[in-house]
Amino acid sequence: MKARRFFRRLFGRERWKPLEARPDARAALHLQYLTFKDLITSNDEILEVIADMESKLQGGMTFGMAFVRSRAVTAASHAYRMIQNLNTLSRRRYQDLYPRFSDIQQAVERVLARGQARPQGPLVLPLASVSLHDLDAVGGKSANLGEMKNRAGLPVPEGFAVTTDACIEFFEANQLWDDIRALLMNLGTGDLQAAAETSESIRRAIMAAPLPSRLEAAILDGYERLCASAGGTRRVALRSSAVGEDGEISFAGQYVSLLNVARDQILGAYKEVIAGLYTPRAICYRAIKGIPEEDIPMGVACLAMVDAVASGVASSMDPNRPAAPRMVINGAWGLGIGTVEGSVSPDTWTVAKDGTKAVITSTAGLKETRVEPLGAGGVQTVPVSAHLQPALCLTEPQVRELAGLVQAAEDHFGGPREVEWALDRTGRLVLLQSRPVHASARGTEQGETPREVEGHPLILSGVPASGGSGSGPAFLSYGPEDLQGFPEGGVLVARHSHPQYVRVMDRASAIVTDIGAPTGHMASLAREFGIPAVLDTHRSTSLLRPGAVVTVDGGRGAVYEGRAESLLSAASSSGARGMAGTPVYAILQEVSKHIVTLNLTDPKSSEFTARSCRTFHDIARFVHEKTFEEMFRVSDQASYEELRSVPLAARLPFTVYLIDLGGGLPPGARAREVTPQDILSSPMKALLAGMTHPELRWWMPKAMSIGGFASVTTEAIFTPFMEYGERRLGDRSYAIVAEGYCNFSSRIGYHFAAVDAYCTASPSRNYISFRFKGGAASEARRANRCVLLERILRSMDFQVERLGDLLNARIRKFSEEATLERLDQAGRLIVATRQLDMRMGPAADIDWYVSAFLTGNYLFDPCFAAASPQGGS
Amino acid sequence: MTRPIRLLIVDDEARLVETLSKRLTARGLYVEGVHSGADALALLQGKPFDVALLDVRMPGMDGLTTLREIKKLQPLLQVIMLSGNASINAAVEGMRLGASEYLLKPANIDDVLAKIEEAFHKKLIQEERLAAQHGPGA
Repeated sequence: MKARRFFRRLFGRERWKPLEARPDARAALHLQYLTFKDLITSNDEILEVIADMESKLQGGMTFGMAFVRSRAVTAASHAYRMIQNLNTLSRRRYQDLYPRFSDIQQAVERVLARGQARPQGPLVLPLASVSLHDLDAVGGKSANLGEMKNRAGLPVPEGFAVTTDACIEFFEANQLWDDIRALLMNLGTGDLQAAAETSESIRRAIMAAPLPSRLEAAILDGYERLCASAGGTRRVALRSSAVGEDGEISFAGQYVSLLNVARDQILGAYKEVIAGLYTPRAICYRAIKGIPEEDIPMGVACLAMVDAVASGVASSMDPNRPAAPRMVINGAWGLGIGTVEGSVSPDTWTVAKDGTKAVITSTAGLKETRVEPLGAGGVQTVPVSAHLQPALCLTEPQVRELAGLVQAAEDHFGGPREVEWALDRTGRLVLLQSRPVHASARGTEQGETPREVEGHPLILSGVPASGGSGSGPAFLSYGPEDLQGFPEGGVLVARHSHPQYVRVMDRASAIVTDIGAPTGHMASLAREFGIPAVLDTHRSTSLLRPGAVVTVDGGRGAVYEGRAESLLSAASSSGARGMAGTPVYAILQEVSKHIVTLNLTDPKSSEFTARSCRTFHDIARFVHEKTFEEMFRVSDQASYEELRSVPLAARLPFTVYLIDLGGGLPPGARAREVTPQDILSSPMKALLAGMTHPELRWWMPKAMSIGGFASVTTEAIFTPFMEYGERRLGDRSYAIVAEGYCNFSSRIGYHFAAVDAYCTASPSRNYISFRFKGGAASEARRANRCVLLERILRSMDFQVERLGDLLNARIRKFSEEATLERLDQAGRLIVATRQLDMRMGPAADIDWYVSAFLTGNYLFDPCFAAASPQGGS
Repeated sequence: MTRPIRLLIVDDEARLVETLSKRLTARGLYVEGVHSGADALALLQGKPFDVALLDVRMPGMDGLTTLREIKKLQPLLQVIMLSGNASINAAVEGMRLGASEYLLKPANIDDVLAKIEEAFHKKLIQEERLAAQHGPGA
């Protein structure tokens, strides 16, 4: 009378009746079926998240915070749904999973929330009251400028900082974060076209959003105060000042600077600068460097415009020879854009880094153009008159004065500095920017001149801008838009250096330009990415042919023909460009401890309890196990044959227990076991036909003939598998069946295979989902096995996704006949590949195994084609 | 036996409703779209649907409140939450309130359609189950 109790629990009031007479019993089966289906789906979703995270943790692929966040949410929602469904199935026997879930959820949220949310501060701060202490509040550029102005006493223009809180208020008032996050989620990395489109959508959204009126007022008030202290109406420059910018991770030139902005243009310019967070190059840069989108609220520095005669960049350390006691100064006519973005060949000075500040070398560049302010606002590029083009833009005393300022900056900040400088019409030098200088990532011991390399003629030489050596096919680019099809490992050969080339820095093996300075933004990015760069070669785009392989020695400024191994051996391109070590990677690593890690491995262990679940993977594993246990427990309690779990009598390398959820087994099946012939569920029947295909002969030693089978006892059937220690008798594989439905799964240790299928005469709902995960075998073997399965399944028209060692194959909406045929094949595959696990080494010839399976050689017998061409029937 | 899936899309983003409607109609679904929770509830007072795609963050009545009210009006209606905001709390709360799925924007149209079909399948079975429980002879 257990059964009566069971049903009373299910339906309370009902009196016992035979099953067929009880529609609500059928309804109960339906409920079980639905609950079960949801459990299987959720388990699949969680396994997919886990595989996805695992493969991202391997490095190599780039991803952002949006990825981490969305995968975490998917895992959480499905873990929660699994708990709900298991409790439905078991009449609330697993309530203690909920508090475990909450703990894990909170742990995950703590990790995701890292670095977010600060109390709201002022929207605008005068530069006169800003220092490095305000880094989070105003962003890197403003904080560095304020520090120089107020605490180092260096000449910096008047200005004010629009805070990061102002940006947050702007975004929140317009709910821009959500839109942006959603847009970014779509973005794969390395797809420049998509990055450009996403960037444009985000920019439009930002430009269309109105500034909160109190922010408008604060910015305009800041401007009025700037004019007051500067003594009259002034044009201003608005420059990005992101958190993280100009700090440990340099964002050199990644963001927008708008020069010569008039009062009525300021508010629009502010949004423009904010939108610069999402230029394609900035999106790519953050993706490559692993900077979470949420971690970069943008501050804006607003400075009184300097009407510069000349400007440039100066570094207190020669980036390529950090040990040398000298500074490097670059300069050109006009406003600063030219030198920094590498569109003119600048003048270069080296200055002794001692009390004398003696000028060691001075080299005049050919400065064909300069940037000047326009009356209506904005700037334009104009030609430089012929006599000024080769003239040095600073006098020697000015060079030495500038060197003094740079030295003062280095002394104050306590490390090598790079500054942007401008010389105004009164002859006064001012500093517009300051950041730590990045030494060349590789080799600091280079000599001065190019080496002779046997067999590889020197083609070009130029200014060494980033050390190390790299080799690859030349890719010629006449502008940063001209990058489509840039190959992995290519050598970028560009007319001008430009920071937008950061887009290919995850793939480039070296960079060579005709024009550009080692103090420019691109050079500092190249050093940061560890990419060898040779600039200012004048002739690279005319001398190098597209596709021709060259070797670049960034330390000595040399380009050689062909692949010069002797130069490459020491400094082979490292994995340093991967995500490892980046903030996003660290967050993924941390979050995966609460999602991916599996602590509950052995269902027979006393630790296999709800209480022991410490990750979403644990919850999925635990619930999955208990789902089957519960279904069998419930059915074992029932005395109806119809609800019982029944062992299957079939030649299989595992015992299968079946549960019928309605119409899958004959109603009158009283037998203690059923045979494949008894089964009514057509998909299960087809799957079993495949698994028991005579040619599989998994049970026989190779030499044994088919005829010998009759005498083999049940015990003997399992022997080969006992020998491999792969399974023990008594472990169950489960099959849930219903009319037109089957779910078969077997799990041994880490090894998981499952088929879920629905098949009726109407194709619209027909599907097969075939999943395979893992195994404790070595990575190479696992990968081989997955590739093999993938290829075989594809040949059967399955759509296959492979994520690490998780294989997910499906077909949908095939005809009944076609679906059943593929289930038959899938059955053969499951049994045949178990065989294979033990045979296929890491270096196996996958092609051979694929064709062996497809020709019916399920034993993977090397002599098969010759010895038994007749097949199995 | 197979009737077209009746889908209700609830999202304040008019452009998204329009695109989704167009593309899902082309796949054979019957689709209606509204732009607020209140409009959704008004429509559901008098008209049965199979599946709803429900935005989480909407001005006025938010998605979770709307979900709670929808479940009172049409308990069998399968609600798929669609959110641009990857919040675990909202996802879990949605599941707790009986949503069948929590998808993140922007989702691939084929994935969305697969989830809709899955939800519809579930609804058919639940309807059958109800019919079995209450119907005279099932």
